[in-house]
Amino acid sequence: MSKKYYRFFGGLLDAQARWLNKMSARGYRLVRTEKLLYEFEECQPNQVTYCVEFVGQKSREHAEAYRDFLEEMGYKVFYKNINLNYSIGKVRWRPWAEKGGRIATNATTFNRELLLVEKENDGKTFALHTSHGDKESYYTTLRNPWLLLLLMLAAFAVANDSAILGVFAAICLLPVLIYQRQIWLNRREARTKEW
Amino acid sequence: MRDHSKGGALTEVTFYILLALYTPKHGYAVMQFIEEKTGGRLSLGAGTLYGALNSLQEKGWIAPYGDSGDRKKEYLITLQGKKVAENELARLKELVAVAKEIVGGAV
Repeated sequence: MSKKYYRFFGGLLDAQARWLNKMSARGYRLVRTEKLLYEFEECQPNQVTYCVEFVGQKSREHAEAYRDFLEEMGYKVFYKNINLNYSIGKVRWRPWAEKGGRIATNATTFNRELLLVEKENDGKTFALHTSHGDKESYYTTLRNPWLLLLLMLAAFAVANDSAILGVFAAICLLPVLIYQRQIWLNRREARTKEW
Repeated sequence: MRDHSKGGALTEVTFYILLALYTPKHGYAVMQFIEEKTGGRLSLGAGTLYGALNSLQEKGWIAPYGDSGDRKKEYLITLQGKKVAENELARLKELVAVAKEIVGGAV
């Protein structure tokens, strides 16, 4: 019996991973995703474990190569959207992305910003990034979209003398600070330790 | 013996990947090799491994091996990579010698 859930986590990557792992603990594993839909089928409780990875900064080729690599590792990979957007022929400018990923369309990583990665549970913690240097660069890719949004909203808030935009800018500050803290912590650790 | 002075130190992850690839391996086998050789002490995340494999390939220290049609992509160390690994071994020997002298040879 498959079970369908409708959820939206947006940029809350950890919350999404926690929820998927909770579902696995209850004996459900993912079989299909859509914009809001998560479809599960029954499995042994804790048979699988999940990681959520942001790949919105990658070009189409790099995102696909990375996905292939993860599948070669024996993981099951699902694409997931980070935003809710139903328009067709959407084009997004992503100055924070790598070369080849800065113009995001439905044919590239647009609406495929996240990878939900499933691994057969072997009792060990499932982490995709393990060295301090690598974690630092991963958290940087997570911070940059929020940082750009923060700067743009702050600039518009000042230019339009708008309190609402100011509030939105302040909201963006939170993820920027959370990721920035991780960047600093990993950078400090990396001075003496590799991982 | 001295020509490694300009090479710099490798990270443990880099060195282990180079060692793993003295025989052709795909990503999963590299991860297994490292876990096995370190008794599980060094457990590499797939994202970190992926980044490291790409950087090593850019440097020309490893290269894709064979034709990766629909089979898993395999890598092999290059001549340049072997040179780097040899220099690293010499550097570590020197480091271990100094450490033994100071900390003692008990360990």
